[in-house]
Amino acid sequence: MRNLVKPVKTIGLLTLDTLFWSKKTLFIAAVSLVIVGLAVLGRLILSFSWIRVPFTPEQVFGTLMATAVIHFLVTFVTLFYGTALISEELEGRTITYLFTRPVPKPAIMIGKYLALVWISSMLVIPTILVSYLVLYLGPDTTRLMRDVGTLGKDVGIVFLAMLVYGAFFSLLGAWLKHPILVGLIYAFGWEGIISYLPGFTRKLTVTHYVQSISPHADTASAIAMMIGERTPALESVITLVLMAAFFLASASLILREKEYVLEQ
Amino acid sequence: MPIHDLGYRHWKGEWTSHPYRWWVITRQGIQLLMKRRRFLVLMILSAIPFVVRGAMIYFATVVGASAPFLKINARFFEDFISQQMFFAFFIAIYAGAGLISNDLRANALQIYFSKPITRRDYVIGKLGVLVWFLSLPTLVPGLILFLLAVLFAPDTAFLREHYWVPVSVTAYSLVMVLTFALVILTLSSLTRSSRFAGINFAAVFFFSQILYGILSGILRSRRVAWVSLGNNIEQLGDTIFRIDPRYPSPVWISVVVVLVIIGGGAWVVHNRVQAVEVVR
Amino acid sequence: MSAVLEARNLSKWYGQVIAVNGVSFSVDAGVTGLLGPNGAGKSTLMKMIMGQLRPSQGEITVFGQRIWNNYPLFARMGFCPEQDSFYERMSGAEFVSSLLRLNGYSEEEVSRRTDAALERVRLTADRDKKIAAYSKGMRQRIKMAQTVAHDPEVIILDEPLAGMDPVGRHEAIQLVRDWGREGKCVVVSSHILHEIEAMTGNILLMHNGRVLAEGDVHQIRELIDKHPHNVHIRCSDPRRLAEALVGFSDVVGVRFHPEGNALTVESRQPDAFYDRLPGLLLSRGIDLDELTSPDDNLQAVFHYLVK
Repeated sequence: MRNLVKPVKTIGLLTLDTLFWSKKTLFIAAVSLVIVGLAVLGRLILSFSWIRVPFTPEQVFGTLMATAVIHFLVTFVTLFYGTALISEELEGRTITYLFTRPVPKPAIMIGKYLALVWISSMLVIPTILVSYLVLYLGPDTTRLMRDVGTLGKDVGIVFLAMLVYGAFFSLLGAWLKHPILVGLIYAFGWEGIISYLPGFTRKLTVTHYVQSISPHADTASAIAMMIGERTPALESVITLVLMAAFFLASASLILREKEYVLEQ
Repeated sequence: MPIHDLGYRHWKGEWTSHPYRWWVITRQGIQLLMKRRRFLVLMILSAIPFVVRGAMIYFATVVGASAPFLKINARFFEDFISQQMFFAFFIAIYAGAGLISNDLRANALQIYFSKPITRRDYVIGKLGVLVWFLSLPTLVPGLILFLLAVLFAPDTAFLREHYWVPVSVTAYSLVMVLTFALVILTLSSLTRSSRFAGINFAAVFFFSQILYGILSGILRSRRVAWVSLGNNIEQLGDTIFRIDPRYPSPVWISVVVVLVIIGGGAWVVHNRVQAVEVVR
Repeated sequence: MSAVLEARNLSKWYGQVIAVNGVSFSVDAGVTGLLGPNGAGKSTLMKMIMGQLRPSQGEITVFGQRIWNNYPLFARMGFCPEQDSFYERMSGAEFVSSLLRLNGYSEEEVSRRTDAALERVRLTADRDKKIAAYSKGMRQRIKMAQTVAHDPEVIILDEPLAGMDPVGRHEAIQLVRDWGREGKCVVVSSHILHEIEAMTGNILLMHNGRVLAEGDVHQIRELIDKHPHNVHIRCSDPRRLAEALVGFSDVVGVRFHPEGNALTVESRQPDAFYDRLPGLLLSRGIDLDELTSPDDNLQAVFHYLVK
């Protein structure tokens, strides 16, 4: 196990360096800024005394979290990075350099995955924190302090969702030659549709478990929960962690056993 | 006895270009995509709604079923094309994401432009590939459905009442096809990675929808519908089919947004496509 | 004692295409040239040696062990791939040191080995330049640096001289010879006979996925020399040159090309022929415009051998 730590760290840092300076990160940062911009807009509307505001900061924050962050940003960021982890090395034909070093292939997968989780967190979590502060900061700090628990929960949920989606999209990237279309169908098709179906099928989505522990009652999760019970919080968390572990293990196994023929 | 030279002879006439050079690029792109089995599956799947709508026309006109959803009118055709936006989205990604980015990655533009092909030919050629494949699930079945409705109709009343529908089908399809085509081509021309272009297209589409959801929630108004790419297309579809627009935002804004996307996209693509890209 | 590299009935096919077809060979310490035209299966064979591709049939072993998914072996092996692909944003030194870290060295060791490897390929002055700004020759050299930075016992070089200028080529050839002299097992591929000849006398000749011949390059040469060698000469007076040439016993045919002031000579001893030609031209005051040999390419060699 100790043998794995160093190569995982090296691969992680190598990947982080590549991801950090990529156009992808710039693009995601821009999208994150738009989300912060929405929080600013919400705050402005809340501040104008001449507008009869029909909502509260927590409602705006809840909507932002449920729709823009969890349903879009997290999926989008992990899809972006996850599918690129192996595919980009294959397209750039640089994977040979990694595969001809005395490092087990699962270590390469794990190192890259950790880099994905790290950089995704660096982009998404500050977006949540800044949005929260923008919406709540004011002379009256009681509300700010009261909802800190919700904020912590949100950060935790987002982190868990990134773990699972990141592992799943890494799996797709290691497995398929063209992972994007399948990833998009999964992210915006399967996850979007199946989680609203009654019965057991909705338990086959990440969205269901995320909605089960979400502190926000947005429209989408309200509809989903109307047709089926929430899974208990602890069970949801454990399921999400197990899902992430399963997807990551599968991705590592595929990387180890698959023969990658580089295009000339 | 005169001895004729039967060897190779140089062309002594004037070198002229023909106006359809772009078609070479389009044809090649179409042939390449048609060889991909997964793409063919996607195209076949996109034909399912057409078959269903065809059956609906049959039941409504020949069998005489009279359920409300079997009413064959302008909205029937508009709904069909709007529904096809789902497939157009995936086809645009599959067919369009790599159209220019793959050429950039392989430094193939130098080869293209070492032939008698202009930048405009190249862009039109690539656009042609997308127009072809995006028209297949929208414009083509839309017109066939209209033809079926006319042929199955017991008299000419339907034709007299809806003679303008083919024009609307064409116009609405073109709005959708050109918007999607130019957005994906623009994104494809901005990167060497087809994956990056594909995800960005999805991001533009979904994020604009989410933006609309949040803004309409915060502002308590649906007048901001124009921020969503899909909403603009649908809004124009309603107008083209003479149906009350589904969003209260002004139609002219949607017209402007779509024109800016098409025009701006064409400008970006044309400028990004260079034989030599100095990167260092 | 078993050989360093050993292939037994090794085959690799991609769908309907056979890239390597029932190849068996063994390679020991020293330099071995893998010679063959483009598409002969050299790169596929090298990728199988390096465990990047799984054999469809047969077996390949390095130090008596199977290589596929046997990652500890890579500590003893270095690979210079054919493709011109890098982490372009990195500098040369970052590239080499990043890969060295994967070998498990301490930071001091990584730094020391990076310096040594860059020095060896003469890239010390450009060590901090981004790889994206490197010339083709420098890119080839940085690939060689990462190949040998961990001092491997087995070095696999896939077309290492491609794109190098004559000076770089000469230096690279010297390096390969040095590694061979140091007792390393070096396998180097090329489709150019002269390049391989300059590096080693020991070759494996590949054609259409098969090993056509193996052993001393001079034996291959002799085999080639048994067949008449065509030389095409364009000069100011082809007939006078022909008159001088037909007196030599190795010249077995002369054909004139009146339209181009040229002649084609068939010789059984090309080396002797080339040695004497300048003297003949000078002594007769004949101006030489062009000298080409359609036989002097590898395809012609294979044509002979397959016949």
